[in-house]
Amino acid sequence: MQNIKALLLEPVGCLAEFPSAPFHEIAVRFFGRKGKASPSASRTYWHLLNLMEAAPLDAEQRAIAETMELEAVAQATLYEDVCPMLGELKSMGVSVSIATSLSRAAVREFINRNSLGDLLMGTCSRDDVGGVKSAPLVHALGSNPPEQAIFLADTVEGIKAARTAGVLPILMMNDPDEAQRLETHKPAGGVVSLHEIPDFIRLVAAQNQRG
Amino acid sequence: MKKVSIYRPTTVDEAMQILTEHGTQASVYAGGTDLLIRLKNRLEQAPSFLVDIKKIDHLRYIKEDAQGGVEIGAATKISELAESKLLAEKYPMLVEAVNKISSPELRNASTIAGDLLQEVWCQYLRGGYSCWRNGGYLCYGAIGDNSYYHSAMGGRLCYAVYPGDAATALIPYDARAKLATPQGEKELLIEQLVPGDMQVDGKIQSHVVRHNEILTSVVIPPPRPAFKASFEKLRPRGVWDFAMASCAMGLELNGKTIEDARVVFGGISGKPYRETVVEAFLKGKTLNDDLGEQAVAIALANAAPLKYNATKIDMAKGLLASGIARLSA
Repeated sequence: MQNIKALLLEPVGCLAEFPSAPFHEIAVRFFGRKGKASPSASRTYWHLLNLMEAAPLDAEQRAIAETMELEAVAQATLYEDVCPMLGELKSMGVSVSIATSLSRAAVREFINRNSLGDLLMGTCSRDDVGGVKSAPLVHALGSNPPEQAIFLADTVEGIKAARTAGVLPILMMNDPDEAQRLETHKPAGGVVSLHEIPDFIRLVAAQNQRG
Repeated sequence: MKKVSIYRPTTVDEAMQILTEHGTQASVYAGGTDLLIRLKNRLEQAPSFLVDIKKIDHLRYIKEDAQGGVEIGAATKISELAESKLLAEKYPMLVEAVNKISSPELRNASTIAGDLLQEVWCQYLRGGYSCWRNGGYLCYGAIGDNSYYHSAMGGRLCYAVYPGDAATALIPYDARAKLATPQGEKELLIEQLVPGDMQVDGKIQSHVVRHNEILTSVVIPPPRPAFKASFEKLRPRGVWDFAMASCAMGLELNGKTIEDARVVFGGISGKPYRETVVEAFLKGKTLNDDLGEQAVAIALANAAPLKYNATKIDMAKGLLASGIARLSA
């Protein structure tokens, strides 16, 4: 693994505990999804992104979806290790960006509500690139080489999106059973908690220095 | 078995020179009860150059020092510690603990330094999984079967437990380790030697010894007159196995009053886990049967068990209670 210079983050599931209901509701209303919402917001969200990728929303639908996403952001609880991790990565000079398939308004609200603005290098939403899943990742990379960037993922779709963008998928292993299943999709690595990310980056750098 | 080249230096300086030359590809070889298994299992992390220190004089001894303490040479066999009359007289808890290390056959081969600095025995690492300690970037123990070899006290990338018993038993005696380094000799408390999950020379390891440093001896201060100690260990079988949980305790007494305490748990964390909350609680208390229950109530409050190993915490607390009961009897 090359030295890691950039970290790309999707807020849903990796930075905060989101409710799944608003994402499920968007899928029900615009894509005719049936059944109950999954208890996992990440799975519901990434399933919705699959639908949005296959049949993009029109302007009116986008406005309604944005309102529901804002509702989800309002209910989201930031994980306690996010700010310490971001602060440490900033001091290490790692470029940290939000690369999300949420709407621009939703991600801005997420950042403002949680006072994350000073800790991030940039933000890229689906509205900024006109696409979901891997599209925001590619854009958020900026001038960073993809092979030196990692993307935290807690779903199969997240791992695939990272691969499509050419960045390294790193598994968030906070649910051991789910992580065991996702490990079969061969992520480049995995962490149990966000506070391990700086150690991860330091270890890779030390290994490369060792040769 | 992975192919290796073996050097047989006759001095510590010569050994350090070879280790420096080969960097992290080389490793000290003495008893081999850990290293040879890693080679046999062809682990990617296993070294390619072995520096056999058995030919070096003055590394295998147990001797009393001028202050009445004891110094143990790094290459001294665990069985020699177990049979030492000097150690039995001065530090009976240590002798009890080393008698519970592994099996008689392995105690005849393994050394005190090897026990202190041994690699973790996580079944995923030993099975050749590409984990943090074996060229990969993921801890399989954190998401797989973590009932035995993994930490119930949290982790940092790697969640394997520190497996050694000697360190757990040496910490209550405030023992120190002497290291030969290219910059000269240095001395560390045992708990500083094995702080758990360290990044050293671009590797994750339980100890702080760099690739070109050699642990040369362990020094135990003179025994204190009113010091009582106990060692308890739970393992699946009566011999051979590593600790599911262990507890080493040392109490300095004034009559029945506890003046100072050391409480160290093994087998539950990435390091010998010194429980300073219980130590502070015990200070000034009268040693009696009721104390165990009170100590258990406050012990290991920051435990963070993985999916299958919460029972380790219950075991550790049980050992704490039985240790106090033993010392108060």
